[in-house]
Amino acid sequence: MSVLELLHVTKRFGAFVAVDDVSFTVDKGQIVSLLGPSGCGKTTTLRVISGFEEADQGSVIFSGKDMKGKRPYERNVGLLFQDYALFPHMTVEQNVAYGLKQRGFEKTRIVNRMGEMLDLVKLKGFEKRRPSQLSGGQQQRVALARSLAISPEVVLLDEPLSALDAKLRQELRFELKEILSEVDATTIVVTHDQEEAMSLGERVIVMSDGKVVQQGPPTEIYASPRTRFVAEFIGRSNWFSGVIGAVAAPGVRDFETGDGFGLLVPEPTEATASKDYDICIRPERIQINITNDVSNNHPINTLSGTIRDVAHLGADIHFVIEVAGKHLITATEQYNGQSLERAGQDVALTFSPHDCIIVPSNS
Amino acid sequence: MRRLIDNIGTWLGIANILIVLVFLIFPIAVAVMMSFDARDYLGRFPPQAYSIRWYESFFSDAYYLQGLTTSLILAVIATFVSTTAGVSAAIVLDRHTGRSKEVLESLFLSPLVVPAVVIGFALLLFFSLLGVFDGFTRLLGGHIIITFPYTVRTTLAGLVGIRKTLTEAAMALGANERRAFWDVTFPLARTGIVAGAVFAFAFSMDDIAVSLFLTSPDTYTLPVAMVSMMRTNFDLTIAAAAVVLMVFTFLLILALNWAIGLEKLIGQGVFRS
Repeated sequence: MSVLELLHVTKRFGAFVAVDDVSFTVDKGQIVSLLGPSGCGKTTTLRVISGFEEADQGSVIFSGKDMKGKRPYERNVGLLFQDYALFPHMTVEQNVAYGLKQRGFEKTRIVNRMGEMLDLVKLKGFEKRRPSQLSGGQQQRVALARSLAISPEVVLLDEPLSALDAKLRQELRFELKEILSEVDATTIVVTHDQEEAMSLGERVIVMSDGKVVQQGPPTEIYASPRTRFVAEFIGRSNWFSGVIGAVAAPGVRDFETGDGFGLLVPEPTEATASKDYDICIRPERIQINITNDVSNNHPINTLSGTIRDVAHLGADIHFVIEVAGKHLITATEQYNGQSLERAGQDVALTFSPHDCIIVPSNS
Repeated sequence: MRRLIDNIGTWLGIANILIVLVFLIFPIAVAVMMSFDARDYLGRFPPQAYSIRWYESFFSDAYYLQGLTTSLILAVIATFVSTTAGVSAAIVLDRHTGRSKEVLESLFLSPLVVPAVVIGFALLLFFSLLGVFDGFTRLLGGHIIITFPYTVRTTLAGLVGIRKTLTEAAMALGANERRAFWDVTFPLARTGIVAGAVFAFAFSMDDIAVSLFLTSPDTYTLPVAMVSMMRTNFDLTIAAAAVVLMVFTFLLILALNWAIGLEKLIGQGVFRS
């Protein structure tokens, strides 16, 4: 059963439409990511769900109850702010107990629940500290404990990891996921960081200009983006614009790029009136072959070019390759001890037709 | 050469501080010492012998005592009203932005720039227009008006650093707006609020310009009493009165600080993480 349901929610600020007819549902215990660039309306959506903004149209439904006109303190939401918003004048204990006190629980119940929560976030022994005496990661865990203590119907996380440095972020991502699944929290994670969205969310909802552009499991969003925006926003990509041609084989069509390359691409899933499409190839799907190697003679989807730059980033090696027409292609290879090609070397790039993602132009 | 100029600059700075200190502290020290003078006429500084005769004279003089009592009651009430009003005004101002806020803010702070004599005279006219002839009511009105800018200003300064997400966090956790104010905003703005109250109290105790216009024959403040005694009966009781005024102001500021949370002021500084 769905715990949270948004039905055609629209929110305007003056003439600006911040959230435009957004609908989605979140099931019990599910973690859903709301992903989009800044200004796409994801934070406003979060504020509409939590009750800090009232939707102009549409409705927000918590377990079957319409939340229309309900103030934030009349909804049961756990909100984790980007800056954590821990009360600086209260101890860890007082912060975590705050929501329980507002609910008028008796003292022993508050103390028990608080203990449980601090156990959950592994902060036993920090009860008497003030937020300023904690590290960024600890502060975040206190904030999480505080928002989970009230057993919220929906947990809303606003850019939960963005204030932390890269290494800590990875550790906490896993921890956060564990904690959320332990309490079986129905969660929405709002983020502009695709890694965060894809690693935390079982489902990703991509937003742009106030609209939901695509939603689905992370793999699906990455492998079959429906628009150029989604493909570009999630992961790295190489692009060719061109015109689609005749069917070459079952499920495969000819494609003529603007640069004059002839490629084979999959049948487009999104129908458009024109024949203009964009092709996206993920860098890790491109195979790099040394040109003078005679056995590597691929007639299908082969582009010859010259390596312009090689960057060895530990596990991955990033290549920048110039193909005819000054078109720069990014390709990545996993590093497993191979000898590296050098800048200036001539290479042939190949990719299978099914590694091409085809989306309508200007989407 | 450049170094020389730098050095001269430094020395001038130090000299400046010293001169200010001398002119601030020396006159007060002279007044305090003279108030203990044993001579029964106004002699040269320093006193040859010391006694508490001027204090005895002060505390046995009904005229001064009534002034002191009025001053204290007035200052306490004016501080309370002015702080309450100032805090509410500051909260409203803090929530708004733009032109209307700026206009309101400068209006609230205008008593700071209008000469006190003008305020006193204007209030006198205004109160007689309203038919208010009671001295205490007029004084209270005047003192609230001159202390109000300080409480608004310092509360605003205290509110500025408080992140909006803190109040929102409280509300998401189940606190209504009133609760969130008392649990979060007020404790965090306390430093500013206390500072405003302290200023208000000190300025109310100290004021002469506005009070002169608003006193009635039977209701007057201690500074007003001192000025009128200086004209009619000039002796060192005035020095004693000055010291008493100073001590009372200081003690009440301490009490106020202690009551509203001095320990936080000193211990944690301003709460912002």
